[in-house]
Amino acid sequence: MKRFLCTGFMVVCLFLALTLTCSAQEKGFDDKEIRIGQWGPQTGPAAPWGAVARGSGLLFDVVNEEGGIHGRTIRYFLRDDQYNPAQTVAVVKDLVERRGVFAFVGGVGGACGLAVMEYLKQNKIIWVGPSAAIREFVFPANPYLFAVYPLYEDESSILTKFVVEKLKAKKIGFFFQNDQYGKDGLSGAKKRLATYNMSLIAEIPVEPGDKDLSSQILRFKESGAEVVIMFVNPTVAAIALKTAATIDYKPQWVSSDTLSDYPLMNTITGGLWEGVITGAFGLPPDTDHPILNKYRDAAKRFSPEERWGTFYLAGILFADPLVEALHRVGPNLSTEATLKALNSITNHQTIGPPVTWTPEIHQGTDSVQIQQCGPGATYITLQDWQSNDLATWKK
Amino acid sequence: MIGQLIIEGLAIGACYGLFGVAVAIIYKTSEVVNFGQGEMGMISTFIAYHILIQYQFPFWLAFIITMIFAILLGMFIEFFLLRPAKDPTVLGLIIITLGAEMMLMSLVGWKWGAEQKDFAFPLSVRDTHEILPGLKLNEWTMGVFILTALIMVLLYLFFRYSNLGVAMRATQQNQNAAKIMGIKVERVFSFTWAMSSVIGAVAAMFFAARSVLDPTYMMEPFMRAFAAAVLGGLTSIPGVVLGGISLGLIENFFGYAWPHWKPIVAFVVIILVLTLKPSGLFAKHYVKKV
Repeated sequence: MKRFLCTGFMVVCLFLALTLTCSAQEKGFDDKEIRIGQWGPQTGPAAPWGAVARGSGLLFDVVNEEGGIHGRTIRYFLRDDQYNPAQTVAVVKDLVERRGVFAFVGGVGGACGLAVMEYLKQNKIIWVGPSAAIREFVFPANPYLFAVYPLYEDESSILTKFVVEKLKAKKIGFFFQNDQYGKDGLSGAKKRLATYNMSLIAEIPVEPGDKDLSSQILRFKESGAEVVIMFVNPTVAAIALKTAATIDYKPQWVSSDTLSDYPLMNTITGGLWEGVITGAFGLPPDTDHPILNKYRDAAKRFSPEERWGTFYLAGILFADPLVEALHRVGPNLSTEATLKALNSITNHQTIGPPVTWTPEIHQGTDSVQIQQCGPGATYITLQDWQSNDLATWKK
Repeated sequence: MIGQLIIEGLAIGACYGLFGVAVAIIYKTSEVVNFGQGEMGMISTFIAYHILIQYQFPFWLAFIITMIFAILLGMFIEFFLLRPAKDPTVLGLIIITLGAEMMLMSLVGWKWGAEQKDFAFPLSVRDTHEILPGLKLNEWTMGVFILTALIMVLLYLFFRYSNLGVAMRATQQNQNAAKIMGIKVERVFSFTWAMSSVIGAVAAMFFAARSVLDPTYMMEPFMRAFAAAVLGGLTSIPGVVLGGISLGLIENFFGYAWPHWKPIVAFVVIILVLTLKPSGLFAKHYVKKV
């Protein structure tokens, strides 16, 4: 009899535990809170980009301070995946199955995102603003995934247009990382130049870990390239500029938005970053803009130790459209209602580019600003938000 | 342009060679490839960076303190990580060095973070001198040439004429015979690790000046330096330097002519060399007779 009662008690406990887990998994929210998660490298080689996830945290702190969304506060879960896709899978499963998150925002790393994209889709978890411009995220449209980050091909096309029309450059070189990021950039530049009946004077690849760039930079010098557009990582960019300085080669360097953290780039290049032109997915951090000022003041209160930089801001602008959609949904929250609200967002703009989603197209923007690093790593805006008229995915 | 390519190839090659020497010294005495060599140099450079930024010491003082740290680090790893291993095989010791590598990288990531930093080195890559029309030589390159030559000469004298150097060579050839002859083999190992750590730290500082400072910045140079050492012959110090210089030149010429092939060409050459001459280009090939 005792054994029977014990077994019965255990079965009931197990049933209750499973029921509670399942209900959390299905809803992702209750009357008091909405659970939102993000993965991001807080340690390991990509930790500098971890500021994105902390920036989203600041946005949610501000939302909660202002009373939450229709009476619910946002409970934010930040998990360190060390930029390792295997870790990303582990932390995402934990957040979905144990914490019952309603949606994800941001998420640094193309490979990390690709590792969990299908899982999130199968579990009907909304994911807004991945921190990587991966075509596979949005083409074909994934009903649960909404991208904010402009595609590298679009950005490169806009930068090349600026180089030809504003800088009047005739000899343009392209320095690209030998991966999808670099190749997408190269493709955008070539398509744009074709419209002017021009071609690149030199297109030179580099491996992400290469520490000696003498031969590549000498080749750019020999080609006579007056502008070099680069789609590379920060370390390669720093070595490229240092190497160019050693051989007295001074082209106009132009780069993708991944190198738009001017204080960092200027520090690691020993001041050589001054004058470099980059794309940008957000307003310059030092802009006097009412929304930016609000977040800057909030950062001083919530995270005084945090550096107010480009990637921290990116965390805000990647997560912001989800907050907007949750406001639009009203008190009767559900995944379907939120998807409907996200699909109806049109030209929503705060501190980033204008974002528009439709049920068919989930790439939210193709616009970037063009900025230049001024003295003391200050930001000079050369061109306001500009979209890519050659972007085929919009048609 | 050819002249400039040669200079740049020689410079980076000498730097690979210098770092390869650090790898070869340990290999010569114990037949262990130290996979933690890059990170030992990396943490030493971070110490120099910390002293320069935090305490604003002049570079020469930071350099001396860093060298002392490097000596202690080498001895620490040998004494606390390798020596306690019971009946170690060479493979077991190599695995221990891999563990040390990860430990040092994590330690640096925890203390200084992963964000890239600029290492203020007195020999700047930006201060150039035109030695011939169109041919530039920067201070960093001159420093690498002079230092590599100096270390080569010092090592030659050390291994040739000093008791400790002779003891190190004897230990490499036959540990048991060396013990019978009264050589304290453990001390030789400690000294070897300290010496290797110092040379590695100097080379790592040169790499940091040309690149950026972060916990992973020595991974790729280590692989190149190791490849250079294998190319030249791991048991020959001059061979390692010549291997480094060859690697630098090959990479630069191919990188200039066929940039797409640059990442693999050096390793293709190494495979070819090892197929034809397994002991490396400049080392003697010993055949054990049964």
